[in-house]
Amino acid sequence: MNGVLFPAGHPAGDESLEAYRARGGYEAWHAALRSLSPEPLIEQVTAAGLRGRGGAGFPTGRKWALARQAEGTPRYVVCNGGEDEPGSMKDRLLLEHHPHLVLEGTLLAAYAIGASTAYLYINRLYERALARAQAAIAEALAEGEVGEHVQGSPFSIEVQTFPAPTTYVAGEDTAALEAIEGKEALPRPKPPYPVTVGLHGKPTLVNNVETLANVPAIVRQGPAWFRGLGTGDTPGTMIFCLGEEVARPGAYELPLGTPLRHLVEVCGGGLRGGRRLKAILPGGPSSAFLLPEALDVRLDHQALREAGSSLGCGVVRLFPEGTCLLEETLAIAEFFARESCGQCPACRMETGMYVALLQKLQKGQGGAALLEQIPKIGAYGKGKGYCSLISMPVPPVESAVKLFPDDFTYHLEHGRCPE
Amino acid sequence: MAEEVCHVLVCTNVDCKDRGSQDLLAALKARVAQEGLTDVVVKPYLCFGGCQHGPNIVLYPSKIWYAQVTLNDLDDIVAHLKGGPVVRRLTGKVDAATQELIFQLLDAGLF
Repeated sequence: MNGVLFPAGHPAGDESLEAYRARGGYEAWHAALRSLSPEPLIEQVTAAGLRGRGGAGFPTGRKWALARQAEGTPRYVVCNGGEDEPGSMKDRLLLEHHPHLVLEGTLLAAYAIGASTAYLYINRLYERALARAQAAIAEALAEGEVGEHVQGSPFSIEVQTFPAPTTYVAGEDTAALEAIEGKEALPRPKPPYPVTVGLHGKPTLVNNVETLANVPAIVRQGPAWFRGLGTGDTPGTMIFCLGEEVARPGAYELPLGTPLRHLVEVCGGGLRGGRRLKAILPGGPSSAFLLPEALDVRLDHQALREAGSSLGCGVVRLFPEGTCLLEETLAIAEFFARESCGQCPACRMETGMYVALLQKLQKGQGGAALLEQIPKIGAYGKGKGYCSLISMPVPPVESAVKLFPDDFTYHLEHGRCPE
Repeated sequence: MAEEVCHVLVCTNVDCKDRGSQDLLAALKARVAQEGLTDVVVKPYLCFGGCQHGPNIVLYPSKIWYAQVTLNDLDDIVAHLKGGPVVRRLTGKVDAATQELIFQLLDAGLF
């Protein structure tokens, strides 16, 4: 298919500024500067139904409107490419292959909210993405797409890259702001939200890389065209990442609403070695496990929620027969316990308690009463904490116990994985 | 029948640690050894969720929850461990729901 983000539907080639212009690049930017004031621009993004691609799926147009309405100057845009989600590579690939697309989306966001500075906040391990983004900014500056009085308009914008810390929480919106302010990347208590009190206390729009990369096409081709892709719940396309467990790992851009089976079997070529599927984690480590029967679920927020899981940021993990789901769940719990920043004691307690409990089960220590404690731990953490990390291990842990009870009871009885 | 072991669990999560729980843990261990209390095991615990009232110490299986413990309280706590009265001024500070959750986790073997 012709992608909105990847012209070939998957990453292919390092797009130059010239090649980007040849497919309509910066036309949306020029059109906005020439004849589209910020409010109608925001209305277009709202009408398109674009939702954040970083995981939460918040309506992008609403976030822009809130930032636009907030009081105070200067204003900022942060294009969030912290990308610390295990298995996610979409933001890196967009920045490496199509840096001008990401930049144009960022410029449109800056114009919409009246920002004078924009940061491309990029995971510092992504050296090539950082280099490509820096080169794109320099080219755009040289050609008058960025800088003072862009294209002869009254609008001025400075853009710079910021190498993001590599901890998991550094990708959280407010932690990113702390990092850019030169502090440790720790989430802030909310409210206030960044749209009103963001970078240096000023209105700040934080959007994921992929979210912003959708904007130029929406402006150029219109909200109706965008809504023609995807579903009513989640219009457009999304980049899905498959890992080494499939025959063809990689990043695939698909219209939202595509059945999960198409992604796994047609794009990914099915499980490597033709193994049978045991479990699916459709939206990264903070989503709930699904059974193989769920392969026909459509990939959008609503359908996955109805199936008992979530879309997240499009990292799909598959587990073949023979995988012990207790071991996989323990690994996920250990990840969140390790990445809990330590600011909120309740998060430390909850994430640590899951690990302690799952380790007991793993070794066959304790009885079935341990399993009964799992929902109580999740309930304890509900509504607590500065950020959503505290709620992240709950769906995988609770769903694993519910869907794969045999793996847990075998461990309890034998202290090891099922044969 | 063997005498029941008393577990003295000292929270060492961030809040309690900030309020000196590591010192409490070390001092309690030393006092218990000094007194020759062989049926008492003092050990760290990852968190009791009673962060506003730390440092927290929970005795198990007797389910006595001591909150806002300081080094000055250790004489009375050790006296309790030797068979003396419960140190009432240190109990009843943490909400009942949190206490119940923690006691259930301990009953399930999570310590």
